[in-house]
Amino acid sequence: MPRLFIYVGLILLLCLLIPPAVIARVRVTPNSNLPVHFIQDMDFQSKFKAQSVNPLFADRRAVRPPVDSTVARGETYVDAYFYDGVVGGQWATTLPPQIPLTMATLQRGQQRFNIYCSVCHGETGAGDGSVNQKAMELVANTNGPVNGTVWVQAKNLVHDETVSVQPVGQLFNTITNGIRNMAGYGSQIPVADRWAIAAYVKSLQRSQNAHPSDVPAGVTLAEAK
Amino acid sequence: MSRFLFPRWTNALLPFVLVLGAVAPLYAVMFVAYGFSPKTTEAGYMPVQPVAYSHAVHAGKLGIDCRYCHTTVEQAGFASVPATQTCMNCHTQIHRDSPKLEVVRKSYETGMPVEWIKVHKLGDYAYFNHSAHITRGVGCVECHGRVDQMEEVSRVSPLSMGWCLECHRNPTDRLRPVDKVTSMAWDQKAEMTRQQREALQQTFNIHPSENCSTCHR
Repeated sequence: MPRLFIYVGLILLLCLLIPPAVIARVRVTPNSNLPVHFIQDMDFQSKFKAQSVNPLFADRRAVRPPVDSTVARGETYVDAYFYDGVVGGQWATTLPPQIPLTMATLQRGQQRFNIYCSVCHGETGAGDGSVNQKAMELVANTNGPVNGTVWVQAKNLVHDETVSVQPVGQLFNTITNGIRNMAGYGSQIPVADRWAIAAYVKSLQRSQNAHPSDVPAGVTLAEAK
Repeated sequence: MSRFLFPRWTNALLPFVLVLGAVAPLYAVMFVAYGFSPKTTEAGYMPVQPVAYSHAVHAGKLGIDCRYCHTTVEQAGFASVPATQTCMNCHTQIHRDSPKLEVVRKSYETGMPVEWIKVHKLGDYAYFNHSAHITRGVGCVECHGRVDQMEEVSRVSPLSMGWCLECHRNPTDRLRPVDKVTSMAWDQKAEMTRQQREALQQTFNIHPSENCSTCHR
């Protein structure tokens, strides 16, 4: 048998190893190109899904922002107590009738507080959340604030007297519309959750100003928890 | 009469040809199964986003909950990409001159959206519902991987139908308490016993459907 045939045969056999090696490499390497669809099925249909692009509009949003002054069903905002936290021109001091003051409400408030508020105000409300700490670091940088960062220490929701005296309706309003440097969270948090958070802030304040006499007679700490 | 005859030494090749003939189909099948699998073609997709946003910093280092930005994930099928306003909650003050945020600031001023690129794209005939999974103890990390460690988000799962069914046929080990759903580092296999996960499955009444119409409409 001519030598040439043996060599060519061996090289061809070795070449068979290349495709698996390439595939193995593709599997472990991130790729910024669109995934290849060998079989198209109906993967790409001419319809719009949530937050997709429609190039016909100037802003390329497939979903159209509502026309100014339109009111969606169920969003009438006529209940000033529920939507603004105002009763008779004053900040509401109790929760609106739609929000019962139950343990479930407070626990919901705690969970939502820890998602949306604790990043700046800290889980105890002390104003020591991770974003606040980071921002303070950026401002205190020795060569001047990084990237023009400005920051005012987040409020201590429990011990700062301007906050601790606020009625629950005013807290609700601050969550909704923001105040000073804090942005409003009305678009991020549904109205019932904002009330739950306001109630939870009140309970944070109450719990950190607790007195032994607050514990009902005959209840031990383990039970009270 | 010049008829071509194979030289005598070609007889020695016959066994090799037979072996090759037997192995070649196998090779082709393996090549398609391995190479055309969504684990090869779909997983690892890491598009270059218009803003160099780092989940590793925001969700990882700062520990911001997933739901701070992806607010609809518990109520809706679609986990929304946040509005520019959400970025600007902090970035009107923090890193407000950073060149990395130029696109975000422009979007904030003009009202034009930042055109984030979708990483986890399903076929248009498949309807995945985030809220159905999130509110019954399937953690974000099960499908999205350790996003809190990703500088740039890439797709860790093939998101193929076979991959969905793996879990739909055996959901027990993918379940965790609802309050741990967004905890990326929390691992139910390390923190819970199998019995506890089975109890969770009972509590949530989880019997995942394998019917076509569950996901395809």
